[in-house]
Amino acid sequence: MTISKKIVLLGHFGVGKTSLVRRFVENTFSDNYKVTIGVHILKKEMDLPENQVNLIIWDIEGNEDITATRSSYLMGSHGFIYVFDTTRKSTFENLKRDLDHLKNNYNNVPIIVVGNKNDLITSAYLKENSSLFEQVDYFTSARTGKNVELIFEDLTKKMIS
Amino acid sequence: MLEFYKKQHLYPKVQFIVIAKNGEVTASDDNLFPLEPGSDIAEFHPFFESVIPLLADKNTQLSYYCIHIKDKICDVDCKTFEGKDPLIVIHDLTEHYESLQLVTQMRNETVIESEILSLQNTYLQEKEAFKRTFIANFSHELRNPLTGIFSFTEMLEKTHLSDEQYDLVEVVKSLCQDLNIMIEDILDLSKIEVGKFFTKDEVFDFDEMLDTVNFIYSTKARQKNLNFQIHRDEKIPQYIEGDQSRIKQLLANTIENAIKFTDEGQVDLYLKLNNKRANKVNIQFEITDTGIGIAKKDLNDIFTSFTQVHKDNKYPGSGLGLAIVKNLVTLMEGNISAESELGKGTSIRFNLKLKFPLHHREKQKKKTQESDILFNNPDKYSILLIEDNKISQIIVLKILASQGAFFLDIAENGAQAMERVEENDYDLILMDLRLPDISGYELAPLIRDLPEKKYAKTPIVALSGSMMGDGKNDYKKAGINDILQKPFQELQLLKQLKKFFK
Repeated sequence: MTISKKIVLLGHFGVGKTSLVRRFVENTFSDNYKVTIGVHILKKEMDLPENQVNLIIWDIEGNEDITATRSSYLMGSHGFIYVFDTTRKSTFENLKRDLDHLKNNYNNVPIIVVGNKNDLITSAYLKENSSLFEQVDYFTSARTGKNVELIFEDLTKKMIS
Repeated sequence: MLEFYKKQHLYPKVQFIVIAKNGEVTASDDNLFPLEPGSDIAEFHPFFESVIPLLADKNTQLSYYCIHIKDKICDVDCKTFEGKDPLIVIHDLTEHYESLQLVTQMRNETVIESEILSLQNTYLQEKEAFKRTFIANFSHELRNPLTGIFSFTEMLEKTHLSDEQYDLVEVVKSLCQDLNIMIEDILDLSKIEVGKFFTKDEVFDFDEMLDTVNFIYSTKARQKNLNFQIHRDEKIPQYIEGDQSRIKQLLANTIENAIKFTDEGQVDLYLKLNNKRANKVNIQFEITDTGIGIAKKDLNDIFTSFTQVHKDNKYPGSGLGLAIVKNLVTLMEGNISAESELGKGTSIRFNLKLKFPLHHREKQKKKTQESDILFNNPDKYSILLIEDNKISQIIVLKILASQGAFFLDIAENGAQAMERVEENDYDLILMDLRLPDISGYELAPLIRDLPEKKYAKTPIVALSGSMMGDGKNDYKKAGINDILQKPFQELQLLKQLKKFFK
């Protein structure tokens, strides 16, 4: 059976949402940062043992304040991927507040929290900031591809369970 | 005409599409995108695949902004009606959104760059703090084994050693002391930089401190045939409240430096009262020399840690002395500056904000140590110390400085000693028995036999490291009055001197 699921990638600007989507959908990566305005919507089919899932991925523009995100973008979402940049504190210092906002307003929508640009930090840095990263599900690198497939697979399983 | 403009600017930028509830296109004006009637709009673009499920209810109106559809950026309105098929209206606003994209791109890049710079700055600061803490801890750890080496060397020194062995032990002690000074400097600097360095306020006799400084550095200057003088502003109060040991450290580092880099001429310490209000006093210290000077381009580097402007081996050092001075002065809320002319000399000037007691009564000095009362002669005794070992020089220097009753000259070898005794008149000669160019047994008769026999009766006290030999007959025959065994205590030396200065 084929089913469609809408996934929205959220987070500050410049954290690598578009790069993660590109890596996942097209298996490409570019170092050039091009700002996303509005939303790019891409589709990728994912084959799971029992289902084929069409992932409709909404790569929306970054926003420092999640409450200012256009509600129309989030409407009808089946899953969220909250992305932050592990090298920029400003992108994860309000992580708890943002997650609370999503849980309060989209109660049943599963969320995966992703610390991107993992290739730019050291394990010592991760250890030092471990308390800030308690809620992180995956550390990814769109550049190397580390854990990128995994986050989408994991979210898809959560969405259809 | 109006219709023409509308066609050009408005009409082609909007597309009306009517779809069935399952997403099948029933009608489209194809103004923006060609859509075949009967085709599935979800197949045209995934945006519609996620919107169609939301159009199941009647009288729904959804508006989406800035959606990238194919090569256009559009706003999309979706409406459902009772008894009619849903309507989708696409507005092409590509030009508007592209101009917005440029502005946003610039703004985001600026923010990201500044965040990265701030992160790099924090990282560098953390690295620097780690380095400082590491140096402080490491220096501290180094001190323990060094203290051990020094203590055991002192114990070894007191065993039965030949003169040669004693001299070697003295070299080890001397190197330990050099290393200890360097470690103390690094520790001081690290403590200042991490804010763990504290100064204390105590009332002290400023004149007495200057006397000690004068004695030590006049002696050191004379060793290089230099003249050292203190020029004190009489308006400066005698009693000052501040950290005496740190003020001494400031003066020691700057004056030592001045003497080190001066080969002939003069080193002066000028003390000037800048101002005095209530119980506060601002004193300017200026140390000038007639030394080799510093090039203008290097002048800013002299207060930087581990930086030596003169890289010549002739002037060894860690490059920490003036860095400590700068940091200490800043810590004590003062200012420091330097002026110099290559080949003519240097002037280091700093001022300190200190206090002074308005009504100070000097406490009666406790007569706790016998050594405190040994000398109170109004006229100073003039002593020549002939000693090549730096530690022994410093020990004698400090013991004599504490009395304030002596004038000391130092000669490091036999040749220098002969020059000094010919030029000056000394009341007593302290002489190491093992000098680099001659033994004390040979030097003493030369001094005794000087023309006019001016040193025929001057007491000569030998300093010997050997616990063996050096029998009484040997030194008596050489014209040496007595022998003081190294290492000696302060009291032993003073009693020995007292014996001859009754």
